[in-house]
Amino acid sequence: MICNQCGERPASVLVKQKRNGQLTERHLCHVCAAENHNLNLAFEQDPLAIHQLLSNWFPVHSPSVNPVKKEVTVCPSCGFTFNNFLKLGKFGCATCYEAFESNLEEIFKRLHNGNKEHTGKIPAFYGSTLKIKKEIEELRKQLKISIEEEEFEEAAKLRDQVRELNKQLEGGADHGD
Amino acid sequence: MAIDRFLEPKASSWMANAGDNTDIAMSTRIRLARNLNDFKFPYAFTEDEALKVDKAISSVLLDRGEEVNQEFTHIDIHEVSSLHRELLVEKHLISPYLAAGIHAGSVLISKNEELSIMINEEDHLRIQSLQSGFHLQEAYKVANELDSLLEENLQYAFHEKFGYLTSCPTNTGTGMRASVMLHLPALTMSQQITRIIPAISRLGMVVRGIYGEGSEALGNVYQISNQLTLGKSEYEILQDLQNMTEQIIEQERRARQAIVDNSPLKLEDRIYRSLGILTYSRLLTTEEAAKCLSDVRLGIDLKLIENIDMSILNELMIFMQPAFLQHYSKKPLSPGERDIARAKLFRERLKEEHKINGDKEGEDSV
Repeated sequence: MICNQCGERPASVLVKQKRNGQLTERHLCHVCAAENHNLNLAFEQDPLAIHQLLSNWFPVHSPSVNPVKKEVTVCPSCGFTFNNFLKLGKFGCATCYEAFESNLEEIFKRLHNGNKEHTGKIPAFYGSTLKIKKEIEELRKQLKISIEEEEFEEAAKLRDQVRELNKQLEGGADHGD
Repeated sequence: MAIDRFLEPKASSWMANAGDNTDIAMSTRIRLARNLNDFKFPYAFTEDEALKVDKAISSVLLDRGEEVNQEFTHIDIHEVSSLHRELLVEKHLISPYLAAGIHAGSVLISKNEELSIMINEEDHLRIQSLQSGFHLQEAYKVANELDSLLEENLQYAFHEKFGYLTSCPTNTGTGMRASVMLHLPALTMSQQITRIIPAISRLGMVVRGIYGEGSEALGNVYQISNQLTLGKSEYEILQDLQNMTEQIIEQERRARQAIVDNSPLKLEDRIYRSLGILTYSRLLTTEEAAKCLSDVRLGIDLKLIENIDMSILNELMIFMQPAFLQHYSKKPLSPGERDIARAKLFRERLKEEHKINGDKEGEDSV
């Protein structure tokens, strides 16, 4: 067989390459094989083979092997299952993060040295809504307390504040679109 | 064609050498990964969505780029030949993944080539900011300004707890990968690098050869970058990387001094032999060229070689790659022919260096 790349020398090496899940096989001569291997520009390699790590942590059972019927988590937006995510090592859309949330904490802790929450930049738009949401949460807590303590006048005030903030939130969302 | 200006074998500004520590730190890169909220991510989206994402992001950059003093050229990846895509990859302006052209996608490149924005790579948006030397804060500032401009006009996928949502869980959070390219010949020669690499990986950072495979770093060029993107702010990540890089630079300096003190003649011999090979050889393989370039660059840093510009390593590591060699030669080359073209490139480049510097010695004008 002649080398697939230079078409000159006889092929002596079979190069199997898996990329984005697709396996390619090329028969190369020793010169082309060496050239191909030595200057494989590592522009943005994954720092680790993520899907391998994931499937080690969460063994993927195929239905035939695992007779116990397990509930399958499916992302309602893109249709990725949790197993899809584990096999590929990638999310299909933003909603996947919510669909698989119960399992993500452990994954992130392992990938990011025990960290599981973002503490960096917040986009300006989310920044303002995030603040309002946190305020509402706080007011609701106070509201609960005042109802328990039967301070109904105070509770009514707090309820109005929550309503007002909720309105702002909706208005904010309209504005952002 | 719009793309032509980026294919010239001319050095981009980030390949030059400017600032402190440039004898060891060659260049700095910041990459931010972002996705739009209303579209599925590239592993799941349809071709129609891909086109919409491309259009939405491109139009903001083309219309409003001037607000952050940037003028972009838009290059649709499917309209570019495979050789031209390879050239952009070799110049670090796009990734091999984008070059594969799996989806509708494009790249927008700033005039000075310091910013490139890939659309529909693994994420909808990949902002890349390149600077020469060791300039993490500056590179981040440029990327961050552009990011803030985009977020005014587009709604990013962002989660209260997880931060910026990315296709790969290793990027979730800040979506930021910061890296510094380092030339570490002395740490490699003394084999200290094999002890440094595992130690650093325990601190949430990673060191690897940028050219070449596995443990071998072609041209003794390494890249140190952050591995964590969650739980630390951008500022903290940059600060950690800054401190670690400074320590490595310091260790490289000490290792260089040790070699100079212990075996000066051996070192000088090695450097001049390599200069001889680059100046006179007729056949140059990638490995030999990279090894000799590293030696010559070390010789320049140690002031043993005085009439060659230090940016030679940054530039020639890029321009000696297969696609650039074929582009200059204006024809496809077999690997054997590339070795001939590579040797010719080095001979001409070194002759040029000599001429320019020779003129300078003769007269100071112009």
